[in-house]
Amino acid sequence: MAALLEVRGLSVHFGGLAAVKDVTFDIEQGERLAMIGPNGAGKTTLFNLLTGQLKPSGGTVKFKGKDITHAAVYARTQLGIARSFQITSLFPNETVRVNALIGLQGTRAGRYRVWGVFSKDKALRAEAQKLLESIELWDKRDETVSSLAYGEQRKLEMGLSLASDPELLLLDEPSCGLTPTESADITSRIRDLGSKITVLMIAHDMDLVFGVAERIILLHYGEISAEGTCDEIRANQTVKDIYMGSHKHKTRDA
Amino acid sequence: MAAQPRPSIFMGGLLARKAVAATEKKTPASWLTTLLPVIVIAVLLLLLPTFVPSYIQSLVTKMMIFALFGVSMNVLWGLGGIPTFGHAAFFGFGGYCCGILIVHGGISNFWVNLVLAILLTALLAAGLGVPAFRVYGVGASDNPIYFLLVTLAFGELLVRVAISARSLTGGSTGLAGIPYPQLGIPGVTINSQSFYFLVFGIVVVCLLLIYRLYNSHFGYAMRGIHDNERRMQALGFNTWLYKYTSYIIAGAFGGIAGVLFAYFGGVMVPGNMGMAMTDIVFLIVILGSASVYLGPIVGAVVVVGVEYIASLYVPDRWPLIMGAIIVFVIMVIPQGIGVLLLNLWRRVIRGSAA
Repeated sequence: MAALLEVRGLSVHFGGLAAVKDVTFDIEQGERLAMIGPNGAGKTTLFNLLTGQLKPSGGTVKFKGKDITHAAVYARTQLGIARSFQITSLFPNETVRVNALIGLQGTRAGRYRVWGVFSKDKALRAEAQKLLESIELWDKRDETVSSLAYGEQRKLEMGLSLASDPELLLLDEPSCGLTPTESADITSRIRDLGSKITVLMIAHDMDLVFGVAERIILLHYGEISAEGTCDEIRANQTVKDIYMGSHKHKTRDA
Repeated sequence: MAAQPRPSIFMGGLLARKAVAATEKKTPASWLTTLLPVIVIAVLLLLLPTFVPSYIQSLVTKMMIFALFGVSMNVLWGLGGIPTFGHAAFFGFGGYCCGILIVHGGISNFWVNLVLAILLTALLAAGLGVPAFRVYGVGASDNPIYFLLVTLAFGELLVRVAISARSLTGGSTGLAGIPYPQLGIPGVTINSQSFYFLVFGIVVVCLLLIYRLYNSHFGYAMRGIHDNERRMQALGFNTWLYKYTSYIIAGAFGGIAGVLFAYFGGVMVPGNMGMAMTDIVFLIVILGSASVYLGPIVGAVVVVGVEYIASLYVPDRWPLIMGAIIVFVIMVIPQGIGVLLLNLWRRVIRGSAA
């Protein structure tokens, strides 16, 4: 069976800078894949290529066997790709419940209706309740999002990514800026997502990476420089050198 | 950190005002307390012609037309966060359509004129919207200046066309000879008083339709696009289609206001499609609060009222006065009078409840 996501020779150049160079990898159905790499390695750029925010200079992306290299962002979401953002990206002026309602509406019928009353859409409200209960924000449903604590906003960020019932979930630093307890909570949430949802995540938090990922890709200067299971990556000398830091690097920095 | 005001190079804090208003939106008012002022105003407006002189009646007619004009622009600006410098193009175009149909087309029936003008204006908006949104980019992260310039150019382009196509539009002197509308109902002739009620009826219906739009699925998607267009795309919304559709809807309602204005003045001049008219509707929305649905109505009352008073005493100085008002509002009440009144009304309700 073909892989869920097939990336072949994907590249993007910003002027003379090749931010992502000839990246090729597959993600199998149900897999938990983590992408690591130092700052500026091109991880988020690669994410933006996969979700369509950026157009690649070369290469192809196939999702469920369908070429989506040039598909629009919203079209990919309709196909079953969802993402979270590293910088929390919500609707700060609306309540938690309205955030969930809007999130759910994106992939459900009736989103162009100009007559019905959105906030009284019963089917949507029931789904919103389920979604908010699953991320434990139901009690805060009537609070404005900008007044939520940061950890709660991150939870809602993940909740919105799940609202479209994705098959492939791309998480950009899901534990970014969280306390260790909150981070552990996110880790167990990602682990509990179930095999229907395939996960590709960017993370700097090694507890999260080793706690969730089955396979790890190391990105460095826009290229895949190592790939393997957690144990392989732990033992990999390249990883130790360029990611975890080595003497060579330290002396160069100093 | 999530509630950052959107970057904007010369609109100052205008576009960021929604955040201010939304945080104050916390007390849920019951439908009665929300509806009460609306009903009172509606009843007052219905009774008004019986006890005011005709020039006041005509002034209020103009206020109602401009209220609709302002609210139609706010579909783009207040709801979707899309500022435009070319909204008068639709206002003037709707008015010209109506006038040309009457003067040259020989179609005297009001309803036929209205429907044709709406359709033509929507068609124009559909045509202009394609190139305009090519330069709009994605929401708050991109600079809206190119969109503003393109929409501004559209308006000025139409002004030039109206001046050149003299046989059809009457050139720079304008298209005169638009009579009061004929409703096609036997025994009903429209005079200035019944025209007042006709405008009242049409404006109320339009405002209700736009209100429904605000609260619909479409309206909430537009709010989402206003706040965070990238997230909306990631959630599966075709944001381009929403923006484009709202451009057409705003244009069509602007066209209705233009039709009423053509009947009201009996004449359309090219300037009605250009910057001068856009300035007025801009001021109406800024003054009245883009973030409050009824804001532009307040703005229309103030702007049209001040314009009238200015025309009595210093007719040549109206642009100067208008400029001074813009500066005053931006410096003293950047959130607009609408937000001010809304907060005042909430305090009244809370005071009576306590």
